[in-house]
Amino acid sequence: MSLKRKFRTIFTISNKELIDYVRDWRTLLAVVLVPLLMFPTIFFVLPLVMQSELDERQSLNLEVLIETNENLTQFEFLTIEFSENLLNYSVIDLNPEIEFNDTSMMMNDIKSSKISSVLRLSYDSNSSIWNYYIIYDSTQESSGEAYLRISKALSQWEDNLTSERINDAGLNEEAILNPLQPGESIQGDIATAAEQAGFVFSFIIPLFVSIWTATSGVQPSIDITAGERERGTLESLLCVPCSRLELLLGKWLAVTCIVAASIILQLAGLVFAISFVMSGSFLQPPELSISSIVLFLVAVSVFGIMVVALEMALAMRSRSVKEAGSILGPMMLFFFLPAIFAQFINLESIELFWFAVPAVNVLLAMRELLQNEINFLHVFVWIFSSLIYAAAASWYASRQFLREDLVESLS
Amino acid sequence: MGQLLLSVKNVTKTFGTLNALENFSIDIEKGAVIGLVGSNGAGKTTLLRLLCGLYRPNIGNVVFIKDGNEKNIDKFREAVGVLPESTGLYHRLTAWENIRYHSRLHGVKDSISWERTLRFSKALSISDDLMRHTRGFSRGMRQKTALLRALAHGPEILLLDEPTAGLDVTSARLVRKLVLQLKEEGGTVIYSTHNLSEAEKVCDRIIILHNGQLRFDGSNEELLLETNTKSLEDAYVKLTSDDARIKEKEETEGWFAKKWRHLFTRKINYDNFEEEE
Repeated sequence: MSLKRKFRTIFTISNKELIDYVRDWRTLLAVVLVPLLMFPTIFFVLPLVMQSELDERQSLNLEVLIETNENLTQFEFLTIEFSENLLNYSVIDLNPEIEFNDTSMMMNDIKSSKISSVLRLSYDSNSSIWNYYIIYDSTQESSGEAYLRISKALSQWEDNLTSERINDAGLNEEAILNPLQPGESIQGDIATAAEQAGFVFSFIIPLFVSIWTATSGVQPSIDITAGERERGTLESLLCVPCSRLELLLGKWLAVTCIVAASIILQLAGLVFAISFVMSGSFLQPPELSISSIVLFLVAVSVFGIMVVALEMALAMRSRSVKEAGSILGPMMLFFFLPAIFAQFINLESIELFWFAVPAVNVLLAMRELLQNEINFLHVFVWIFSSLIYAAAASWYASRQFLREDLVESLS
Repeated sequence: MGQLLLSVKNVTKTFGTLNALENFSIDIEKGAVIGLVGSNGAGKTTLLRLLCGLYRPNIGNVVFIKDGNEKNIDKFREAVGVLPESTGLYHRLTAWENIRYHSRLHGVKDSISWERTLRFSKALSISDDLMRHTRGFSRGMRQKTALLRALAHGPEILLLDEPTAGLDVTSARLVRKLVLQLKEEGGTVIYSTHNLSEAEKVCDRIIILHNGQLRFDGSNEELLLETNTKSLEDAYVKLTSDDARIKEKEETEGWFAKKWRHLFTRKINYDNFEEEE
């Protein structure tokens, strides 16, 4: 068979797989709409919902109890702060019989939401120090909110008391409280905005690219291997005069296209969301040389070849979609863990062997390249080792396509 | 006797400890319509899969003969049209797209496969449905589409695995009529079936397989003569009087998977059977 015919066969297979895939609106939804909308949703909608919930909680009037034996006029500032923070307070005498930090007496009232929190206050005239104790239930939202507001009011009161005491002592309040102040600018960062962006992206992009590559390849890999086997379409396909390798390459090409589309869309969604949130002030595109961009694409490609080939091989071993899912699901950990692990490796003074560790090597390479750093020894090691891993994964996948029992289906 | 097209030489195919086919030999001549008859697990599907190169024999070989020379079966796949037991249609593609996909993989131009598809689709009364997605197709429609797919690239030999199984009377008749039409045009067909009367109507040679062994190979008349019976059914029963084997294949499940499954399978004591509540 001529080379031209072989290529035509591969493209015919991948073309059919893509058409078959695109015609299923559910899978298209998973590949196009979800990736495109996921980050804008996380960055826009989630903060809106959280803000609305926060506003709602902050607008609540909460009942609190102040237990003290001191005169109300001594902590008038605090009661004003309470009122301003929508805390309705009642004052009762502090029982001298009970321990200051004994919560048992108030437990039922807080648990039954009769009151949200209790503030115990006592003044030590010898040391001129106020002691306080807040009783609340961290598992109740209203009680937790009351705790926050009481803490805030106490903090304001403390500031006020500090100022009063400094002024009463005839000292300069500013010199005492802020003895160290920055000049016109707090810091002198010599990194450009583009370099800063590259640094930030070097943590985000490799992590997401690796996770997306692994996850977005699972469903199509299963569908066109174990799915075909389960539906009984593989037997007739294996009867056509093309080699199993051509079949594998055609299907691999289709999955790779789907994964690439998914990654590009997710990246677009992420960059759009980040840019919008940051209003373009910080995360402008990183300045990357052509070599860095090309090497970055090489890194993603070899990683993609390895991941998709492995996923297809394991899916092909399975007799059904369910079986393939139960194998590929846990296998995601083998990609997630290195992806997270690689974030904590210090790129400066990094040992060379890291660039030969499967999956970790490509992630580290992406991090370096996004910082526009090209270390030729690193590049050689990660390209060489990645190509070996990708070739091994592809060889394993091609072995699976040669199995005789592929023709057997559950249908 | 016609020109020799395919030769199966002393083939044994095993799956684990089971001999799916045992020292099996046949010659297939060009233009013959051969009925492959046998019970479930007799080895019919295994033989068809050996003929189209999906299985490799453990012993022996399958060769096709071109210009008097024996060639490996892999070189013959372009000339084979297969209708497997499961029709294997893609539900999100139309009938024509299914057919065209396979024809393209056979290296046939769309215009040629379309012309053939149109001709045979008329014979099968399915020409109006070629542009429909196969998702809503009935069993008969799926079977007919798969048959068109097997024919569209102009195969020299057609392997049909239970082509009328599950079809209504009219559809089954149309399929048989098409096979007879192919026979008239000089096509070679291997027709696997359970149904003896169907084999009698369509085939001019019958091969009876039982438990992986060849029990008979010859014409209908020869079958009756050899078995000294008056009907094909009687002849078949006489030739396959020993019990058919229960299992078709060894379980391919691994040791751990098997043990694990058994761990969660309730043992039932049939001597002291109790209804589950």
